[in-house]
Amino acid sequence: MSEANTIKNAVCTFCGCVCDDIELVVAPDGKSITRAGNACELGRAWFLEHKVEDYPVALIDGQETSLEEAIEAAAEILVKAKFPAVYGLSDTTCEAQKEAVAIADFLNGNIDTTTSVCHGPSGMAFQGIGESTASLGEIKNRADFILYWGGNPVEAHPRHFERYSFKAEGKYLPQGRAARTVVVVDVRKTKSAQEADIFLQVKPGCDFEVLWALRALVRGRFVDASIEERTGISMEVLKDLVERMKACRFGVIFFGMGLSMTRGRHFNVAALLALATDLNQFTHFVANPVRGHGNVTGADNVVSWQTGYPFGVNFNRGYPRFNPGEFTTVDVLARGEADALLVVASDPAANFPRKAIEHLHRIPVITLDPKPTRTSQIAKVAFTVAPYGVSVGGTVYRMDNVALPLRPAIKSPYPSDEEILRRLKEKILELKGIKRQAA
Amino acid sequence: MRLSLHTAPEVPLETDCLCPDQLLGKSAKEIAKLLVFHGNQRAELGEFFHIQEGAQNGTVTVEGDLAKVKQVGAGMSDGKLRIVGNVGAHLGAEMRGGEIVVEGSAGDWVGREMRGGRITILGDAGHLVGSAVRGAAVGMTGGEIFILGSAKNEVGNGMRRGLIAIAGDSGDFTGVNLKAGTVVVLGNLGLRSGAGMVRGTILSTQPAELLPTFCYDTTYRPPIVRTLLLYLRRQGFTIEDVYINGPYRRFSGDAIELNKGEILLYAG
Ligand code: SF4
Repeated sequence: MSEANTIKNAVCTFCGCVCDDIELVVAPDGKSITRAGNACELGRAWFLEHKVEDYPVALIDGQETSLEEAIEAAAEILVKAKFPAVYGLSDTTCEAQKEAVAIADFLNGNIDTTTSVCHGPSGMAFQGIGESTASLGEIKNRADFILYWGGNPVEAHPRHFERYSFKAEGKYLPQGRAARTVVVVDVRKTKSAQEADIFLQVKPGCDFEVLWALRALVRGRFVDASIEERTGISMEVLKDLVERMKACRFGVIFFGMGLSMTRGRHFNVAALLALATDLNQFTHFVANPVRGHGNVTGADNVVSWQTGYPFGVNFNRGYPRFNPGEFTTVDVLARGEADALLVVASDPAANFPRKAIEHLHRIPVITLDPKPTRTSQIAKVAFTVAPYGVSVGGTVYRMDNVALPLRPAIKSPYPSDEEILRRLKEKILELKGIKRQAA
Repeated sequence: MRLSLHTAPEVPLETDCLCPDQLLGKSAKEIAKLLVFHGNQRAELGEFFHIQEGAQNGTVTVEGDLAKVKQVGAGMSDGKLRIVGNVGAHLGAEMRGGEIVVEGSAGDWVGREMRGGRITILGDAGHLVGSAVRGAAVGMTGGEIFILGSAKNEVGNGMRRGLIAIAGDSGDFTGVNLKAGTVVVLGNLGLRSGAGMVRGTILSTQPAELLPTFCYDTTYRPPIVRTLLLYLRRQGFTIEDVYINGPYRRFSGDAIELNKGEILLYAG
């Protein structure tokens, strides 16, 4: 390649916004990206930092080895294990996720994604309450009331406002920002809160009480006067908010981890979803999670499509069982249950609770990651893979469950997650003596 | 009959067969052959337990640290199961009758979706005592669960009938989505007790902060409290006279639902 090569409409997978309007300019040597037009700061950093580096493609016990040997060693570990667990999956393609589910299935193991440590409680709430939802396009074009609860898009999802929400010009709201009411609920005045028309500062750990009071007011039920003292939000403010919500034509509540990972967890999200459902008595109202990782939504979709459940699924008895708290990776590690772990595109050794990390040191770990991580450093077998979106094509899901095809820009000398997982699966089938009928 | 753990499982062991219904009337040899799941492997009960036949008095005693053993007594309908040591998750799940006594602590999901019988835990219990499985609306529909230590979150989630009594504290969301039935906590209730409750009773002898959708009704001495607490005293709970006789403040809720549930808090 001698000329600079431009890729239009590339897809950024750094955050759950999955912006698909990026213009990438590839350096003449084809080894790095020199410009990422339209991307936000985070997205730019994500694209520009990828260089073709020379880590070994595979390591066993920290020693360089061939891909074949590493795959064989990994397959042997997993086949020998009595409680093998597969974890991660939010930063890879749906095609790779599908192979990971197949591996867990053939091993009669456990499969879980990073959803269990971010919006897992939301998944449980969807199951319990149901989900009244819309695509981001619909929200952009129609929503005249937008509420953000427990999230800070300005810093975590920088283009969320302009692409999908109140800063965008809607087909049916040509005045854009002026036609919309924007509310932010959070425990502190974040940068996102500064952009809102109304900001509700809730005392930490009181989201559930506020949501519960809002639900009661929407339904015209009793709310105790102590609410202001408890939550920091006065009855007048709550009543005013309820009137605005009832009066809008299309309302949306976006919620983040400030809701799903604080005290009350799935009940907080369930309360919020139930609030959206209650409001449908009066107007059209939806609730959407704001997801973090690039393809965590894809992980939910693929695992649900293949097993019937979104995360925390166990195949020990030959059929899928779902039980967050029992089969979620943090818990199976903290209780010392898993005896081998396959990690795809995640770094549990850096962000799990101490007890879970201690167990990671006791069991054989296999990692697939484009770069060395804390987990890969303690891994028995570590694979270096090509980064998805930058060097690997495939499908990813935006946070509103819209599937988008990736447009990779630079060639990588490393195999993709999908390729390694597929070869690992074949090896496992061979070791277990499972014969599959040719398609 | 006595079973003692001789080999600790390395990974969770699921033993639905550890249940008097399936053990009584069988010889030690037959019992040793019963199917269990050791992680993803099929195994036999005898690989983990010594089995000692004894007088057929309807009691099965299991000894050892069973913290990694799940589903003990699941589906049980008759007889008595005594566990000397700790036990893992799903103890007495979907149990219909008979009695389980644990001389130790239990994991999560004790008596999940239980329909009858009695479970007594002398130590502590984990989350979701007597509750529904995820995705189901109805938890325990009958029977009694007595915990002489403390329990964690979501005690009685979706419970429809029966009695849960806890000598110590309970975690958050005690009696959440309660349809009916009674939850007694002699220690402190966690936050958000009775959220979404439709009917049923939650009683505590300690002060508690309630959700804004619970409304104070009255302070009174309902005869049922006396009857209930005296009954619990006979079952081995230590309850001071003041709580048995004392006045209780009654709150009704959850206003978001039918508002026919009640939370009784001691008002001494
Ligand atoms: S908002 Fe997210 S997806 Fe869009 S460019 Fe920024 S980091 Fe990438």
